[in-house]
Amino acid sequence: MKKIVVLVIVFIGLLLTPGWAGQDLFIKNGTLLTITKGIISGGDILIIDGKIRQIGQDLAPPEGIPVVDATGLYVMPGIIDSHTHIALSGTNEGSVAISSEVRMKDVINAEDTSIYTALTGGVTMVHTMHGSANPIGGENVVLKLKWGKTAEDMYVPYAYRTLKFALGENPKRANMMVVSANPRYPQTRMGVVAIIRREFEKARAYMEEWKRYNQLKKNKKLVSFLLPPRRNLRLEPLVLMMEGKMVARCHTYQADETLEFIKLSKEFGFKIGAFEHAWEAYKIAKELAAEKIGISVFADSWAYKMEAYQGIAYMAAFCAKNGVLVSINSDSGERIRRLFNDAAKTMRYGDLSEEEALKLITINPAIQLGVEKRVGSLEVGKDADIAIFKEHPLSAFTRCEKTIIEGEIYFDRAKYLEEQKKKEQKKKEKAEKKTPKGGLK
Amino acid sequence: MRVLKNYLIFFFVWGLIAAPLFGEVVKPTYALVGCRIHPVNGTPIDKGTIIIRNGKIEATGPAEKISIPEDAEVIDAKELEAYPGLIDAYTQYFLESTSPSTAQRQSRMMAASPPEERSWDKTGFLVVENLKFKKTTLDSLHRAGITTILVSPPQQIFAGLSALLNLNGEKLPAMVLQDKVALHLYFTTARGSYPSSLMGTVALFRQSFYDAQHYDLQKKTFLRYPDKVSRPKYDAFLERLLPYVIEKKPVIFNCANLEDIKRAIRLIEEFDLNGYIAGANEAWRVIDWVKKARRPLLVSVDFKPPITSRYANMGEELKKEAEKEIYPHNPAELQKEKISFALVSGKISKPGDFLKNVRLAVEAGLPAEEALKALTIIPARYFGVDSYLGSIEPGKIANLILTKGELFTADCQVRRVFVDGLSFEVKTAEAKSTGKAAAVNLSGNWKASLVSQMGTLESTWELTQEGNKVSGMIASEMGNWEISEGTLSGNKLTMVIMANIMGQDMELTFEGEASKDKIRGTISFAGGSAEMTATRIPDAR
Amino acid sequence: MKGYLKMKTGIKKMVSRVNIKPGLSNFSSYFFSSRTKFNRKAITFGVVILSWLVINSLFLIAQQPEQVIAIKGAKIITVTGEEIPNGIILIKGKLIADIGPNVNIPSEAKVIEAQGLRAYPGLIDGYSFLGIQEISSVRATVDTRETGDINPQANSYEALRPDSVHIPITRANGITCALVAPTGGLISGMSGLIKLNGWTPGELVVKGPVAMHIQFPMPRRSFRRQSKPSVSTSKKINQLKKLFAEARYYEKRRLAAQKNTLLPYPDFDEKLEALLPVVQGQLPVMISVYAENDIKQVIKLVKEEKLKAILFGVHDGWKVANEIAQAGLPVVLDSLYNMPVRWEDGYDALYRNPAALVKAGVKIAFSSQSASVAKDLPWHAAKAVAFGLEAEEALKAVTINPAEIFGVADQMGSLEKGKLANIVLTDGDILEIKRHVKHLFIEGQEIDLSNYYTELLHKFEKRLNENK
Repeated sequence: MKKIVVLVIVFIGLLLTPGWAGQDLFIKNGTLLTITKGIISGGDILIIDGKIRQIGQDLAPPEGIPVVDATGLYVMPGIIDSHTHIALSGTNEGSVAISSEVRMKDVINAEDTSIYTALTGGVTMVHTMHGSANPIGGENVVLKLKWGKTAEDMYVPYAYRTLKFALGENPKRANMMVVSANPRYPQTRMGVVAIIRREFEKARAYMEEWKRYNQLKKNKKLVSFLLPPRRNLRLEPLVLMMEGKMVARCHTYQADETLEFIKLSKEFGFKIGAFEHAWEAYKIAKELAAEKIGISVFADSWAYKMEAYQGIAYMAAFCAKNGVLVSINSDSGERIRRLFNDAAKTMRYGDLSEEEALKLITINPAIQLGVEKRVGSLEVGKDADIAIFKEHPLSAFTRCEKTIIEGEIYFDRAKYLEEQKKKEQKKKEKAEKKTPKGGLK
Repeated sequence: MRVLKNYLIFFFVWGLIAAPLFGEVVKPTYALVGCRIHPVNGTPIDKGTIIIRNGKIEATGPAEKISIPEDAEVIDAKELEAYPGLIDAYTQYFLESTSPSTAQRQSRMMAASPPEERSWDKTGFLVVENLKFKKTTLDSLHRAGITTILVSPPQQIFAGLSALLNLNGEKLPAMVLQDKVALHLYFTTARGSYPSSLMGTVALFRQSFYDAQHYDLQKKTFLRYPDKVSRPKYDAFLERLLPYVIEKKPVIFNCANLEDIKRAIRLIEEFDLNGYIAGANEAWRVIDWVKKARRPLLVSVDFKPPITSRYANMGEELKKEAEKEIYPHNPAELQKEKISFALVSGKISKPGDFLKNVRLAVEAGLPAEEALKALTIIPARYFGVDSYLGSIEPGKIANLILTKGELFTADCQVRRVFVDGLSFEVKTAEAKSTGKAAAVNLSGNWKASLVSQMGTLESTWELTQEGNKVSGMIASEMGNWEISEGTLSGNKLTMVIMANIMGQDMELTFEGEASKDKIRGTISFAGGSAEMTATRIPDAR
Repeated sequence: MKGYLKMKTGIKKMVSRVNIKPGLSNFSSYFFSSRTKFNRKAITFGVVILSWLVINSLFLIAQQPEQVIAIKGAKIITVTGEEIPNGIILIKGKLIADIGPNVNIPSEAKVIEAQGLRAYPGLIDGYSFLGIQEISSVRATVDTRETGDINPQANSYEALRPDSVHIPITRANGITCALVAPTGGLISGMSGLIKLNGWTPGELVVKGPVAMHIQFPMPRRSFRRQSKPSVSTSKKINQLKKLFAEARYYEKRRLAAQKNTLLPYPDFDEKLEALLPVVQGQLPVMISVYAENDIKQVIKLVKEEKLKAILFGVHDGWKVANEIAQAGLPVVLDSLYNMPVRWEDGYDALYRNPAALVKAGVKIAFSSQSASVAKDLPWHAAKAVAFGLEAEEALKAVTINPAEIFGVADQMGSLEKGKLANIVLTDGDILEIKRHVKHLFIEGQEIDLSNYYTELLHKFEKRLNENK
C-alpha cells in the first residue's frame, strides 16, 4: 500500500514538475538500435507519459495512442551534443579574463531557430556553453530541445553542474585581428595557468572566510556584530567545484596544456567532467585513461589554427579503443545537423564498430553530463528521447525523419514537406493574382 | 523711525506670505459646457459641465447640476468628449542626448589607459537635470492628448532616475511634477568593457544588489558597534542603490522581450525589490509569470516583434504578420486575465504613433474603458500621483482633454488640452512637408578618406538614398563593401557596412553628420575606430 | 648494314692482329695510323653507330620500364559504361591499356588481387584550396585571396605547395584530382587542375589555367537582420562589362599597332592581358553566384558577353533550374556544409538543390571548397543522395562531370581504355563513409596511402605501447 502511495505521489510530482508534459506514443516495427542492449529488428517501443514503458517485438499498444510506423526505418536514442552554443543570447563575457559569475541559465533563448536545425539532425539534448574567450568562462546549462516550449521546459535540472574553462590560443587572444594598445592579461599559456591558479587560491581564501564566519556564528555573544563576508558571485562557483558540486569542462588543444590542467585539478581538488576538443588527446591517451577523464571532440574539423594542426581524424577512435570515454560534439549550429555522419567517420578512421560509433553520440555524452540514467539509450524506464532515421544512422545516405522528446514529436520531415508544399501553393496563387487579368486594379 | 521699522517688518512678512501668490500667474477660470465627460472613476456623463479654477477641477457633473461661475470663460463643448489628460508613463522626450555614441565609446576603450571603471553606473544621472524643452515636441504631445509624461533616462545598465512632467508649457524645470521617481535598469551591455554580454549584466545586477545589502548591513552594524566593526569604505554607487535595494523605492526594468521579463521577475524575487516591468510587448507570452508576480506593468504598444523572437526569425512574412496581427493583441490578452497595466509609448518616438497603436490594441480586443484607465488612473496610481491626477474629480489638477470623436477611434481629434488649468488649443497637424527627414539627399558619388592608426585609406562611395534609407557601396583598395543598413535622420547618418578585411567578414558601423556635400563621422570596428570624411564628387553630366 | 658488318669484322681482324685491347688512346693512335681512307670511314661510321646504341640503351636503363599492373577480380564501376561485376583493369605506364571482364594479363604484369573490392575512377574535386592553404587562421600559410578587387593576373596554381599535408590525406580518401582556385574580390584570379601526386608544382598541374574566377557575394545570415537583396550585383555586372570592353579595346589597339607600325602599342596592362582569353571566349569564367536574382543577372551577362561559363555555388539553383538548363551552363556546387540563409527556403534547401538541378537537366559537380576537409568530397555527394539525388548521378558529379566541365574528359573521369589510370580500390561504396581505400593509382603509379594522420597515429601508438 505504501509503495502505491509513494508511486502515486511520485507520479503526481512528475506531472507537476515544470516541463514534464510527457506524451504517449507507439513506435512500430522499426530496427531498434538500443545502444546498450543490442539491435532489435521489427521492434516496437511503447511510450507512456513520456517514458519508455516497453520495448519488444509484436507489442500491442493501448487504444487511442498515436502510432508511428517505423517499418524500414532505424530507431535510435536522441543524439546528445555535449558542446554547443545554441539557444543562448550571447556566448562570451569576453571583456574580462575570469567571468565565473555568469550563468548560461540566465540567457537561454528558447526561440533560437538553431534549436529547430538541431532537431532536423536528430539531436534531442544539448550541453550549451560559455565560449572559450576566457580562462574561466561561466556556468553552462543542459537543455532538451523542446522547440516551441519555454526555456524552463527545456532546462534539465538533473545534469551535472559544469563550469567552462579554456586554455590555449582562444583565451590568450592569439588570433585577434588587431592587438589593442592595452591587451587583456593573460596573453600566454603560462598566464592562463597562473590566472586560473590565482582564482582558485582566492576561492580557497573565500571558502575559509565563510567557514570561519559560520564557526563564529555559533557563539551567541558575537552574533550581533558579526558581519558575514561579502558574497562574491565570481568565486562561489569555484568553491562549489572544490566542494565537488560542480565539475570543470575544459577547452584545450595541446597535450601539454591538458596535462597542466590535470595538475591544477589535483592541486585544488576539483573534478574534470571532460576535456573539450582536446585535439592532442591521442598523445596522452594513457594519462587520460588512468585519470578516467573523458573527452568531447570533433570527428575531423582541424587545421584552422596552430594548436589544431596536429589533430588527426583517427583520434576519437584511438582514444575510445584505449580506455578513454569519448563523445563527439559539434560546437556549431551547422555541424549539429550531421553528428551521425561524424560518428560514422570513426569507422573509416580508426575502425570502430557500429555499436561503438553510435555510443559516441548517445550514451557517452550522457555519462559525461551525468544524465545517463535518464537518456542515452533505448531502455525501459528512460525518457522517450528518440530519433528515427531513413537509413542506418551511420550510413552516408541517411537522413533524420522524426525527432521525439519525451514522447512528443518535435521534428517530422513528412509534416515539414507538406508545409513547404502549402507554402509553394500559396506563393503560386499570389503570383497568379498579381498578373492582371484584363486591366489593373 | 519706529514707524518705518514697522512698515518694513510688515512688508517683509507680507512678502513672505504673499510671494507665492505673487509668483503665480493668475489663472483664468473655465467652464466647459455640454461635453460628454469620461471621469474614469465613474460612469460617463452625457452633457456635463466641468469648472476649472486655479488650476484645479472645482466641479464636475451633469450640466443641470453645475452652476457656471461669473468669472468663468465659457467654452462651448457640445459634441465634444472630455477625458482626463493622458499619461504616457515611459518616454524619452525632452532628453538632451548625453550618452556617448558607439564610436566614441569604442575609441575610449582603445585608449592608452585601462577602460573606465563602472562605465555602466549612471545611478547619478538625474533626468531632471538633463531636460531640454522643445516646443514642437510639446505640441505633438498635446495633439495626441498627452498631458503628463514620465521621462526615463537613456539606455544604460544602471540608467539613472526618471522624472514626471506635467506638460503645462512652462520653462523647464517648472514642468516637473516629481523627480527621482524611480531607478531605471536596462538589460543592455557596456560594449567593450565589463559587462559586455547579457549574462554579464545579469551577474552584475545580482552582485551589485548583494553588495548593496552587505554595505547597508556593514553601515548599520558599524553605527551600533563602532568599537567592534571596522568603518565601511564609502562607495558612491552603493549609496545610490540603497534607497532602492533597502528602502524599496521603485525600480523599473526595461524588458525588450519575454526572457527579459522573466529575468526581471527573478531579480525582483531574489532581492525583494519594488520592481516595475516596462516595455514587455510580449508579456502575453509569459502571462503566468506576470500574473503571479503582480508587479506594475508599463506595457509598450510598439508591436514590432523583438529580434530574439521566433516571429522575427522565421521569414519576412511571419514578421510582418506578427506586427500586424499578433502583437497588437498583447494588451487585450493581459486584460482578459485581469492583469492591470499602464500603456506606454516606450520606443515609439512620435506621440501620434503612440495613440494610433493604442487604437490598434483596442481594435484587437482591448476594451476602450480599460485602455483609458491604462492611460490615466493606473499610471497615476503606479507613481503615487493618483491623489491629484488620473481622473476628472473635484480637487484634482485640471489636466483634461477635449476631443471630437471618442478616443481610440480612427477619426478622433484632440481639440483642446488643459494642463494645470492652462488651456492649449490644438492645431491640426500641418501637412508634413515631404522629406523633412530627407532634407538632404545623399545619393551620388563621394570621395572619402579614412584616417586611422594604420594610416590613411582612400575610398569611393556610391550612395543611393530613398526616403531616409541609405544604401550603396564603398570601394577601396581593401575591396568593395556593401552598406547593408543606412539611415539618415535629420543630419545624422548611421550606416552598417559589410566589410571583408583580409579574408575576414566583419560589420563596421559608421556614425556621423551629413550635409549636402560633406559627410563626416567615425567608423568603428572591433579593433578601434577611425575618422572618416567624405566629399561629394560632382556629377560629370 | 653491310658497312656495319664490314666494320665489325674489320675491328675483329684488327684486334686479333694488333693483340692489344681496343682502349681509346690505342684506338685513336691506330686510327690515325690507319692505312686506308676507307678504313677510317668505316671506323668512324662504326664508332658513331656504337655510341648511338650505347647512349640509347643508357637512356632505356635510366627510364623505368613501362610498368604493367593488372587489377584483378574487382567490381568495376566505370561510370560511363556498364558495371563489370568481376573484371580486370590492365594498366600500362600511365594509361588504362585494357578493361573488361576478360582481359589478357601479360606475364610481366604486377597483379593486384582485388576480390571483394570495388574499382572506381579517381574522384575529382570541383573547387578546393589544396596546396594554397595550410592553417586557415595563420595568414602566412594562406594564399587563397589576393588583396584588392580585380586580380585576373593571379594564378592559384603558381602558388602551390606540393608538400601540403592535406594532399596525401585527401588522396587517401579516393580523390585523385582537384581544381585549385582562388577566392575573394570581384575577379579573384585563375584556377588550375592538379593531380594529388607530385614533388613539384609542375608535376602536380594537369591543366592550367582552367577558369577565370569571378565572385558575387553570398548573402550572409546575420542574426540581427535578414539579408536584403543585393543592390550591388547590378553594379558589379556593370563593372565587369566595362572591364571586358576595356580588354577588347586593348586587344584591338594592340592588333592595330602590330599591323601598322606608326600606331603606338597600348601601355602594358597585366589585368587586361589576363582577361584577353576570357573575352575571346577561350578561357571559361567560373562565376560564384548564390542568390536567385543574381543568378538570373549572371546568366544574362554571360549571354551578352558571349563568355564560356561555369557557375559556382548556386544556392538558389533549385529556384532557377530551368533557366540554368536552358542557358546550358554547368554548375559546380559549393560545400554542402553551408546553411540556408532564408528560413522560408526550408532547412534542407541546400541538400535538395543538387537533385533539383539534375532533374532540370543541369550538369553538376561537387566540391569541398576546402583544403583541410577536402577529403569529404564523396560525402557531400552522399548527402545529396540522402535528399533525393540518384546515386548514379551523384557518382558522376564527382567523376566524369567535373572532368567534362574542366575539359579533361578525354584523360580522366571514368574507367575507360585509353584514359589515365586514376583508379581507387575500396572495400565498399565509395560514397559511403565507413569504407576504406585499399589501393590508389594516379597516372598508373600506385600511391602510398600513408599521410600526416597515419604518421602521427603510429608515433603515438608507439608511445602507448612503450611500457606494455
